[in-house]
Amino acid sequence: MAKTDEHQAWLAELEAKSRAKQVGFINGISGKLRRPRSAEPPAHPFRGAPEFWNEFEWPIDERVEKFRANFKAAGGHSERLATMEDARAFIASKAEEMSAKYVIRQNQPELNALGLEEAIPDASFSVWNSDAEEHWKARAAEADFGIVVADYAAAYTGSVTVLSSKDKGRSVSLLPTVLMVIIPIERLHTRLGQILVNFDQAGRENLPAGIHFISGPSRSADIENDLTIGVHGPGVVYTLIVG
Amino acid sequence: MSVTGTQAGGATVKERAGLALNNDFLRKAVKFTTERLRNGKINAAEDHGNWDEWRERGRQIRLHTIAHLDYYLNLFADNARANGVNVHFADTAAEAVQISLDIAKRAEAKTVVKSKSMVTEELHLNHALEGIGVEAIETDLGEYIIQLAGETPSHIIIPAIHKNRYQIAELLSADAGETLAPDTQVLAGFVRRKLREKFLEADIGMTGCNFAIAETGSMVLFENEGNARMVTTVPKTQITLMGMERIIPSWSDLEVMATLLPRSATGQKLTVYMSGITGPRREVDADGPEEMHIIIVDNGRSLQLGDPEFQELLNCIRCGACLNACPVYRHIGGHAYGGTYSGPIGAVLTPALKKNVAEWDDIANASSLCGACYEACPVKIPLHEMLIYLRRRKLEAGRGDKMEALGMKGFAAVMSNAKRYGAVLKIGQLGQKLVVRDGGIRLKIGPLKGWNTYRVTPSLPKESFRQQWKTMEEEIRHGLQDMDPAMKDRMEQIVKDRAAGKGGHGHHG
Repeated sequence: MAKTDEHQAWLAELEAKSRAKQVGFINGISGKLRRPRSAEPPAHPFRGAPEFWNEFEWPIDERVEKFRANFKAAGGHSERLATMEDARAFIASKAEEMSAKYVIRQNQPELNALGLEEAIPDASFSVWNSDAEEHWKARAAEADFGIVVADYAAAYTGSVTVLSSKDKGRSVSLLPTVLMVIIPIERLHTRLGQILVNFDQAGRENLPAGIHFISGPSRSADIENDLTIGVHGPGVVYTLIVG
Repeated sequence: MSVTGTQAGGATVKERAGLALNNDFLRKAVKFTTERLRNGKINAAEDHGNWDEWRERGRQIRLHTIAHLDYYLNLFADNARANGVNVHFADTAAEAVQISLDIAKRAEAKTVVKSKSMVTEELHLNHALEGIGVEAIETDLGEYIIQLAGETPSHIIIPAIHKNRYQIAELLSADAGETLAPDTQVLAGFVRRKLREKFLEADIGMTGCNFAIAETGSMVLFENEGNARMVTTVPKTQITLMGMERIIPSWSDLEVMATLLPRSATGQKLTVYMSGITGPRREVDADGPEEMHIIIVDNGRSLQLGDPEFQELLNCIRCGACLNACPVYRHIGGHAYGGTYSGPIGAVLTPALKKNVAEWDDIANASSLCGACYEACPVKIPLHEMLIYLRRRKLEAGRGDKMEALGMKGFAAVMSNAKRYGAVLKIGQLGQKLVVRDGGIRLKIGPLKGWNTYRVTPSLPKESFRQQWKTMEEEIRHGLQDMDPAMKDRMEQIVKDRAAGKGGHGHHG
């Protein structure tokens, strides 16, 4: 859809309508609540998790162990590796084992320094959004492997968090058949709340468009409760904790 | 294929339940699935620990947000707009449909790919889209299956709970134009390939909304398949329909909801995907929607605001735990309720959203008032009490059954006095000797007519309920024992496979 002037004018018209309607809509709610509308933020004494929970933290080795156990229980794979060189070797061996032909990766400094292209010479590589003319979603959709570095991870639920940006496509962790996630160990926390609080602190203006928590391979139990893996998203997911 | 709100069959819950009770597979499937989900929830809650403290925290956050809904909803709308979202307000279903259709027309859309959304079911939006020549495709595996069948969801979490894999293979084979084996991997593989194309060519992605974060104007989706991520990543335009009560204040509050929702719905620690989306794609991004709309829908929700008996309905986080816990739902399945929402929450929500219109009067009676729904609810909504309020309002409105009104009065008189209760029980135990045959009462006259048309009234036992309570509780805790042997075998096989590490990585090519 071309962002034509006419289209912009229509959107502007909708916005004017919406702003006008908002006043009555919100006042209607105040009316139903039988009190005048307040512009002040109400005191929220129950914000976030219960107090006892916020003190809970596992030591790093236990975090790694629990993360891996949870991720495997969800049908994924997880390894702990000492160095980024080990991660490169691991990914290269899996690419060979599964004969990966097309690989797409994020444009992240850790991956740029990794030299995966040399380690997997038989595969055709795409680096997210490096060329404005490229049809990036199609590149991700055809890929056998998608490779990303996680922004955060939480051991208690076995989840990794990936944030979108110019250099980090949402499609890279979604469309390929196999997803490889590298987790630098210092980004592995215990609880979800330790990750979520960052988004409150960053504030609206600084949030990316997409924040995605991934806790295993895509799955469904919609046919007779029979667990199916790889329904729409990647069916094979490796998390490599490095450090 | 159109999906409308009406189901085939009876006009009343009693008639629809009759159909469900006669469908042996449906009954077994519903019972089996709900048992599995219920046990999964119980285990997950125990495993997590301090479950009641978490429930209480969830309840407090929801109570607080709803009590200040004007402030938080306004804040959300302002922030979402600042993020570049086109925000719309719809008082009624008709308005929400009109806004959606206008956007679809402007986008010259041919197809809309949809992820699960109960609000769009509520609006019958697929039907409306088809009316203007736009194909609406449900992409959740279960929703896709029932859309092919021309039906509506029978369970909020597992919508195709009432279909077996042979029926599903038949539907998908017709869709594929070739015969597909009734094998879960084969069937799911076909849907993956088919919908991949649909995702990539669709003009609009349409979603519901699990939570909306007021302080940053973000919307949050929980899912397992990845289809909600698809519809919010690939198409150029995204339309999100959200009930106006979906708000929570902050990302920190999301931790509590993320703790309660997946555990209560499926027993998972977290769904495979939890996505927080804050506005359309940034100028420099190479994926995500260019244009994003959020339609905030009232459609009867504000009727509960300020109503002391029903306001807590707005706290609902749509997990389905009350369905799985409900002995009535487990027997009659979701379609018998006749509305968009089924089970105990549906029995209360449907009449509440529809201003108690006469048509829905009978669904409040589809409950045994046992309180299992309240026990299961992660935000402690007193559904069993609301069902009584509904019945009372029905009586007050003069729509009740005279015998029931009389009975209620008599019941109140007897139950309010323990001595009187004991005396009445004795009279009953003596008096029933006149009518008991083979340990049951088959008389189809007077107050027993309705009941005895379908079943036999048991004679009053020698031991009263109170004396039996310990044994009953034991039974409840250990669950229903009569599982279909074939199903049991299949499940045991799955568990074995899972333990052996199979099934987790059979799909790469």
